[in-house]
Amino acid sequence: MIDATTLILTLVWGVAIGCIYILLATGLNLIFGVMKLVNFAHGELLMIGAYVCFSISTAFGVNAYIALFLSMGIVALIGVAVERLAFRRVLGTDKLNEIFVSLGLILIFDNIAVLIWGEKIKQITSPFENMSLQLGGVAISYDRLISLAFVAAILVGLMFLIKKTKIGRAMRATSQKSQSAMLMGINIEHIYIFTFALGAALAGAAGSLYGIIAPFTPYIGAIPTIKAFAIIILGGLGSIPGAIIGGLLYGIAEQSAVIFFGGIWRDAVAFSLLIIVLILRPKGLFGEKGD
Amino acid sequence: MFTKKFTKENILKILQSTKGRIILIAIAVSLAFPLFISDTYIIRILTLIAIFTIYASSWNLLAMSGQGSLGHAAFLGIGGFTSSLLAINLGVPPIIGIFIGAAFSAGIGFLIGVTCVRLQAWFLAMVTFGFSVIAETLFSQFDDYTHAVLGFPTPLLVAPGLPFYYFAVVISIITVAVIYLIMKSKMGLAFRAIHQNVAEASMTGINTAKYKLYAFVLSTFFAGLAGAIYYHFLKYISVSVFAADNSFKPLMMSVIGGLGTIEGPIIGSAIMVFIDALLPNIDGTLQLALSPLFPAVSNVGPPVRLLGLGIFLVIVVVFLPKGVTSLLHKIYDYLRRELKIGEKP
Repeated sequence: MIDATTLILTLVWGVAIGCIYILLATGLNLIFGVMKLVNFAHGELLMIGAYVCFSISTAFGVNAYIALFLSMGIVALIGVAVERLAFRRVLGTDKLNEIFVSLGLILIFDNIAVLIWGEKIKQITSPFENMSLQLGGVAISYDRLISLAFVAAILVGLMFLIKKTKIGRAMRATSQKSQSAMLMGINIEHIYIFTFALGAALAGAAGSLYGIIAPFTPYIGAIPTIKAFAIIILGGLGSIPGAIIGGLLYGIAEQSAVIFFGGIWRDAVAFSLLIIVLILRPKGLFGEKGD
Repeated sequence: MFTKKFTKENILKILQSTKGRIILIAIAVSLAFPLFISDTYIIRILTLIAIFTIYASSWNLLAMSGQGSLGHAAFLGIGGFTSSLLAINLGVPPIIGIFIGAAFSAGIGFLIGVTCVRLQAWFLAMVTFGFSVIAETLFSQFDDYTHAVLGFPTPLLVAPGLPFYYFAVVISIITVAVIYLIMKSKMGLAFRAIHQNVAEASMTGINTAKYKLYAFVLSTFFAGLAGAIYYHFLKYISVSVFAADNSFKPLMMSVIGGLGTIEGPIIGSAIMVFIDALLPNIDGTLQLALSPLFPAVSNVGPPVRLLGLGIFLVIVVVFLPKGVTSLLHKIYDYLRRELKIGEKP
């Protein structure tokens, strides 16, 4: 039988992994909501974020959590380049084209990472390595707790940006109806660039946290992308609270699957959950009505 | 269904047109080619092109109805495993087994299709991708029956070498012809209408869910057939069939060749298979030229080639939305115009 300690550990692990997925999913969700663009290469930005954070923290000996912010900025710039050079040109054409461009980008990013950093497994050294909080027989590493706090802070900041600032209002207007937003004097091109950069920065942050709590290679990007999509679908398109609930549910479901059924079921159980939700509620669990 | 279009005169007319001649020449060349070059390596490459033509065409058929799959490897694997396991466990001759494999794949495709055809493009892409992951897990879990984890040698379908080449070419010609006929029929018209605009298609009285399901079943049938032939050809099958790489291949072939055209997947699979087969030769040169730049990698060649493929894919999608085929059409039109101008005076 599975005892309480295992159960709590499962929960903690699930929440920590879920947090990283939430960041990635929120970025994807923003881009989808505002630009109606599906970026299947979003996970590659996570991977690049992990490597950039790794390089900065090892090359300059900077604290990994400070390198995270630099990594966010650099990944945001990469995001701008991707939006301008690739996605901008197929936006508004056939939906399938976005999937094709994303696949091309996956190949490009994966192999650039291989060329620059090699294929060996790497992990960012955290300043709190091997330190953990003892809670009634359960050891929770500081890194997981810090990443939880980071995610919470970033999400609160993001909510503030979207709900309270001028550019946030412009983003919401563009997501509701881009043509009307244009008529109201919003430069939607700028909004698109800003949104994509923001989404990419979130992916960069997610990647840095991923690199701190788990080892990574150039090929880690694909699966988190799909999982982030699953979370968006679970939580409903365009809803940030939905993504948070979806992400936590997903992380816990995934870890439970590993504990109860074994490691090979990790991805399959989660996808089964996703397919069932899609069939029963094509708009997601908390999705809004209409298209 | 083919009432007016395919009377004898019409077929003759098609065969006498330039297009018809090109098709006939292409078929004749593909059949006669091995008579002149009998190098086993080249025959192997040509056989792969024929097999991937089937696979890419099946993917392309789905795309013609406006649906994108990111998990076609699942159907490739189901076809391959069904045919091989039937031959080993029940002694079913592989020549029948490949069609049973295809039918089984189509059956699974039907079940996926029934639940998913109403989903939007990217949701369907997600579900199909998820399905290939689930299929991989199930095949590994029930290893006692599938022997998938370590894999096993597959029985002989046709004698390797030339006989296999002709077999693959004939099947691929039949596949392409069937898809051509489908696209010329009322069903094909419905596919195109759905691809252009689902809402308008359903407004004009097309049962969009039904036709999308047809496209899904037909596509998974041919994907299963391709898988069965492919893994008899490779002589070995394991759970690695379900890798995402195998799902993305037909997509890239169709897109690079020319999405939504009959000849696109053929050209695309030829380009991709040639790149796969011939470019490793330049790895040595790349290694010499670029290894000082990238000290982190021991072998520079493969990532550089894949990087090139990615850039090529993005450029094709951005600048040549109809793929390499459209470039060929432009060259063809240009030549014809030039020649006619030459004739006038």
